[in-house]
Amino acid sequence: MTEDKKSEKRKLNYYILFENYTHGLALDKILKEEGLKSRIAPTPRSIQGKLSCGMSLLVQEEDIDGVRECIERRKARYYSIVEMECQINPNRNVFC
Amino acid sequence: MSDYVKMWEDLGMDLETHDALCQVLPTAFGDVYLSQENRPEGMGFWDFVVSEIHGIRPAELIEAQKNGQKVFGTFCVYVPDEVVIAANGIVTGLCGGSQFWVPGGEKVLPKNTCPLIKASVGARLDRTCPFFRIADMYVGETTCDGKKKAYEILAEDVPVHVMDMPQMKRAEDYDKWAHEIEKFAGVVEGLTGNKVTPEKLNEAIKIVNNKRKALKRVYDARKADKLPISGKDALLMMQIAFFDDPVRCAEMCNKLADELDQRIKDGVSVFPEGTKRILLTGTPLAIPNWKLHHIIETSGAAVVCEEMCTGTRYFENLVDETQTTLEGQYKALTDRYMKNNCACFTPNTGRIDDIIRLAKEYKVDGVIDVNLKFCSIYDTEGFFVERALKEAGIPVLGIETDYTDSDAEQLKTRIEAFVEMLG
Repeated sequence: MTEDKKSEKRKLNYYILFENYTHGLALDKILKEEGLKSRIAPTPRSIQGKLSCGMSLLVQEEDIDGVRECIERRKARYYSIVEMECQINPNRNVFC
Repeated sequence: MSDYVKMWEDLGMDLETHDALCQVLPTAFGDVYLSQENRPEGMGFWDFVVSEIHGIRPAELIEAQKNGQKVFGTFCVYVPDEVVIAANGIVTGLCGGSQFWVPGGEKVLPKNTCPLIKASVGARLDRTCPFFRIADMYVGETTCDGKKKAYEILAEDVPVHVMDMPQMKRAEDYDKWAHEIEKFAGVVEGLTGNKVTPEKLNEAIKIVNNKRKALKRVYDARKADKLPISGKDALLMMQIAFFDDPVRCAEMCNKLADELDQRIKDGVSVFPEGTKRILLTGTPLAIPNWKLHHIIETSGAAVVCEEMCTGTRYFENLVDETQTTLEGQYKALTDRYMKNNCACFTPNTGRIDDIIRLAKEYKVDGVIDVNLKFCSIYDTEGFFVERALKEAGIPVLGIETDYTDSDAEQLKTRIEAFVEMLG
């Protein structure tokens, strides 16, 4: 259990941030076309700075290189890519 | 990172307090939703809506207001959306599903009021819900005593129209509800400046029926042996249906249903074989109340159906589309809405029939009867619900809870034991 937790903690997530959701949805479409894995996610507040709530694309560690390459090649617009330890924990049982 | 700050400022929202919600929502959504594997692609739409929850739809509503449309905020599935749509108005749900708003409500309401009402009033008075700020009018209904009094408090700030719900289902009660709908149409006409004509109302009836049919398609997919969608994903679709444009809602739900139908053909399931199937019945689960679904679905079971206002009561039964006079249409609306079986009616045996029927249709292994704390009518009705289920040989667990996290572990223990007992 402890080992699992540790390895889960070490897993990295990448959040692609955008100036607006139009850019976000455009990249989501491109990644889907290319069969690259990503998911629309609410941006964690801690990485938004002064900017308000909004969408980001969540990419797993194993997929980020392909996604970066695709962004470059398709000249997709984005604001930044933020790396952070996986924040998702289904056993936390803290709701809102 | 769309910048909605200016819009929230213009709406007079309390930005600092609201930011506390922006802080917790992404974490909770990640834990509950993004932790799932192999979700239907179509859920991307609802993930997107949650990501922009207090931004994108409010911006659309404000734009519509600039073009002269009026927005009606509603609290209950008995308020007929059709009448508002017929007068070119817009219906929106209002905030009420988070503990975040409860303390604000407790400033003015007794503590022993249900969390849904406390959260709604708190969201309004604390200025932390854009939908409450935007709505030109709130439309209430007399489904419970707590709400009736809460509307009086809300009416101090914003125009409120309360529809007087019958509490029984006799012939005269149907007449009374038809009359209430007609009166409501007059109020809507007054605020929008638009006439409700038989043609417009017929169009609106079709729009809302199409939305109901689309929601039902997704629910029907949950009857499959191999479940193509989780209960919490279906719940999210349902919760957002109260806020979205009805035509777009139908379109997105149909798209999702197409994908689910394909998954059923391909034998794709989001749960391992043998996962126990649960029907939830009881009080509504307003967004972002995902607590019980999450606990159940991390305890070896799946929620396959909700006999709730945020569930089958919202889409079952269609309105007759063949009426050509307002009188006939108001009667058709009455017949449909009076088929809803809320615990505010006495007696309410139709709900027991619904639960037993749905338990069979969705092939459930057990039923969880959930009541929001201090909802005395549903709590009391639980006596009949649980007795009828036992008589029908369907295992049942009764639960009372609120929006707080404090009972999560205890609920998990009880639900795990219940699921284990299902064999």
